[in-house]
Amino acid sequence: MESKTCTPRLLLTLVFLLLPISGRSQEAPVLFQPALSPRIASYNIEVTLESAQKKLHGRELLFWHNQTSATISELQFHLYLNGFRNTRSTYMLGTSNPVRSRRIKEDGWGYIEVDAISVSYDTEMIPSLALSRPSEAATMIADLTDITPEIEFIQPDIESPDDKSVFSVPLPRPLPPGGKVIVAVDFTAKLPEPPYARTGAKAEYVFAGQWFPKIGVHTDGQWNCHQFHSRTNFFADFGVYNVWITVPEDNVVGATGLEVAVTTNDDGTATHYYHAEDVHDFAWTASPEFVEVTGKSQDVDIRVLMQPDHADQSQRQLEAAKLAVRYFQDWYGDYPFPNLTVVDPRRGAAASGGMEYPTLITVGTGYGIPAGMKLPEMVTIHEFGHNYWYHLLASNEFEESWLDEGINTYTDIQIMPDAYPGRGNFLNAMGLVLDIGTYHRAQYMGLPDADPVNRTSWGFYSGQSYTVNSYPKPGLILTTLQNYLGWDKMLEAMRTYVERWRFRHPKARDFFDVLNEVSGENLDWFFQQAFETNSILDYSVTRVFSREVKPPKGFDHTLSTVDSDTALTRTDKENDSSLAAATDETDTTARPDSSSPGQLYESGVNIRRLGDFKFPVEIEVIFENGETVRESWDGQELWKKLRYTKPTRLVSATVDPDGKIPLDVNLTNNSKTLEKQTLGVNKISSRTLFWLQFLLEAPETMHSFMLLNDIF
Amino acid sequence: MILSSIKTGLAQVWKSKRMVLIFFLANLSFALVLMLPFRAAVSNFAGETLMGTKLAGHLPIDFIFELMKNNKSLFSIYGTLFMLVPASYWLLSLFLSGGAFATFARGDGYSSPAFWAGAATYFGRFNRLFLWSLPVFAVLLCLQFLETGFQRLIFGSDPYEYVKYWGGWVKYGLRVISFVLCAMVYDYARIHVVTTGETRMRVSLWHGIRTVFGNLGRTFALAFGLFLCGALVLAIYNPIADSLAAPNAFVVLTLFVLQQAYMLFRMLLRLTLYSSQLFLSNKLAGAPAPLEISTDPQGLEGAAA
Repeated sequence: MESKTCTPRLLLTLVFLLLPISGRSQEAPVLFQPALSPRIASYNIEVTLESAQKKLHGRELLFWHNQTSATISELQFHLYLNGFRNTRSTYMLGTSNPVRSRRIKEDGWGYIEVDAISVSYDTEMIPSLALSRPSEAATMIADLTDITPEIEFIQPDIESPDDKSVFSVPLPRPLPPGGKVIVAVDFTAKLPEPPYARTGAKAEYVFAGQWFPKIGVHTDGQWNCHQFHSRTNFFADFGVYNVWITVPEDNVVGATGLEVAVTTNDDGTATHYYHAEDVHDFAWTASPEFVEVTGKSQDVDIRVLMQPDHADQSQRQLEAAKLAVRYFQDWYGDYPFPNLTVVDPRRGAAASGGMEYPTLITVGTGYGIPAGMKLPEMVTIHEFGHNYWYHLLASNEFEESWLDEGINTYTDIQIMPDAYPGRGNFLNAMGLVLDIGTYHRAQYMGLPDADPVNRTSWGFYSGQSYTVNSYPKPGLILTTLQNYLGWDKMLEAMRTYVERWRFRHPKARDFFDVLNEVSGENLDWFFQQAFETNSILDYSVTRVFSREVKPPKGFDHTLSTVDSDTALTRTDKENDSSLAAATDETDTTARPDSSSPGQLYESGVNIRRLGDFKFPVEIEVIFENGETVRESWDGQELWKKLRYTKPTRLVSATVDPDGKIPLDVNLTNNSKTLEKQTLGVNKISSRTLFWLQFLLEAPETMHSFMLLNDIF
Repeated sequence: MILSSIKTGLAQVWKSKRMVLIFFLANLSFALVLMLPFRAAVSNFAGETLMGTKLAGHLPIDFIFELMKNNKSLFSIYGTLFMLVPASYWLLSLFLSGGAFATFARGDGYSSPAFWAGAATYFGRFNRLFLWSLPVFAVLLCLQFLETGFQRLIFGSDPYEYVKYWGGWVKYGLRVISFVLCAMVYDYARIHVVTTGETRMRVSLWHGIRTVFGNLGRTFALAFGLFLCGALVLAIYNPIADSLAAPNAFVVLTLFVLQQAYMLFRMLLRLTLYSSQLFLSNKLAGAPAPLEISTDPQGLEGAAA
């Protein structure tokens, strides 16, 4: 791993040492040679921030390479900021309860306008334009054809006539396979204020995400360029980005990639030139108030941009970022980029927090968050994880959101307990103790079966269903699978998946194929149930009993108690042919020790599969004499009965005794005891009684619940 | 004066131990009414599972989510119970407080007829007094918004988070003070009703307000001191109770005893507050020894005259 990344990083260091301190770079700051990705869509963009209006004036050069086998006659672009253009956009129509945002101010709506768009086939120029600022390059490009009048807004997913988040524009002439085209776009954008769903501005703070006209992905013979839906992330092709960001001089800027140079301008602004390779998106932020903290984890430089009121948590964020880098590189493979920027959103701009971009993540914290509340750490680890599952593996988040969010949730569930061992690895503060797995399981249980996991993001029943099926449910599915396959096998599969599909667009099938291959087992039976259906997994011990074996009565029985009892059971089973097809009954008969004529007990355990999800389970049966029996059941039939004849009574039976199946929606019904268990019931009742007594006596203390709202 | 009030108050409560028990049992029985459906649900859901034992240790949060998910009817029951039971308990407490104030006003310890007669006599008046007090409570509870106003005035509409954070704590503190002040006004007004036999509740309310704010240092120190005492013991109780988590009958029993001991202490504290405030009120008014309160409801109207 080390040797693989060493060369580009050394190269990078040398290149940057040779670069001028300021001014436009004419030298190609080569990060990766050869390129890591196909580099289908590369951009040179100049953008100037108009601070007061939160407007962006931009000029973009897109170098698009047709690496498909199709001849392209039109281009399709995303204009994501138009999701915030009005209340009639697809985004807004789908937002019944925008959790990521606050209400947009009257003048706070965002938009993006394409002022002009032109195309050139003068691909000979591309190498010389590669690092040129678009304003200068425009004069160098011959054969620019203005196609602005041809722009047509389209809604490929659902009818939404007022939506302007995708446009199509015909090419003057078709682009054959292997052909390249240069697209020059002048645009004006206004960021929503305060930030709305990951992007926007608040006072002096700007976070620009999805801020420029961005070409769709041509795949499977057509454009894959979805409308901006309220419940979706993104999908784009890899490329090289050169971006010149002009902001007020006192602003600290953070962005995807590496800062190559800073030029101060006469008008009190400064232009920050950023370069990024093999990324599929570019985001940036600016604020005069950022407090900068830097560190290094393994071979990755980390830069944390904190808000001044969170400055005391800088080290906490930095340590979480370091930890994330270390865990992901150690467990899931190399992070090939030399740096990571961590952005802490401003107060009142939390909607821009908790988001991922290539080499840049936004996190979320608050003043006074106690150390035992690991939400900030979890968010940082989660967002960095996206640099694997969304960035390196650029799956289509419109269509298969779980491939990013779900796998990332799974890795959260693995990393948090390891990084923060002990009880309450997610929350251990103010008397509340919560593990990360429990946290996700609670979300999952809220709506476990509204939809299959694998759906387009706008096709879910509700926002809650999208959330459950994109985050916790796949996280728990993969944790269950890991427990089934074993940690080593699962880790090997995940590493293989990352290695094989990095810088490509894997689909669910590709992920499944890797797991099948590495596990050496066809797991499609699992994937089909877990991802393509809404089946519920719930195994339950429904009955246990133990009764004395009595001497047989009636005709035609043998004298042997044990044998006759077994024979009776078999006869019952054989006589009921309808049940025989649906049952799997096991008789485990122990012949009593002939030297000790003790009482024999017939004990039984009935287990039922209450959901449609079939999964192999273990069953543990414990007897009074301490004997423990473990049984396996493939879980295919609707129920299973276990029968034992032993000189001891049964105490309890548990299905999944090791808790390997967090996907099971009801863990309480996984066990059954012969005797009533009053101890725990009394304990929880006693504690409840106390708090009820207390609240009856001092109801005014209820106001303490308002405290969290007051201080956070 | 404060310490002597508490000392006298405690002595009076000590003489009325049975009254502490009455308050405690009232509290326990109402809480039981609220708790029993929960216990039945837990027992039904987990009573024959290993979770039934596991619950004796640290509470598995998974279980709470599963209980909620699988016992939706329980929450509709509680929707009603949480409306009725606390309201009924409040009324009962108000009823009993009449007996307590009357007993302390007499000063010769608990006597069953005097207690219940006092409870019955003042119940109606205390209810009317409460209604009269509502506007005063509303004003006092607005105290917390002083913080909001000052924050906006000093830091504007976009303060740093640490301003909001510490401001939140100040607001919380102001709310606590407001609640203590509300309780104080109501207590001193009730004391006035009991000690003077006043039937015009606006007069007693006004007396309560004057007593509290005319002697704010002493009245507040007394009430807040006892409030802090309760909070302090709760702070000690909590980690001990949390640590009592093991699948062992003795541990569960110890926990129960500890919990009830704390609640008994709270009742003692409440009655000590009543008694101490009554003593302080008398001192402030220059009144002599405890008053003779007749057990005759007719006579109570003019008992202090």
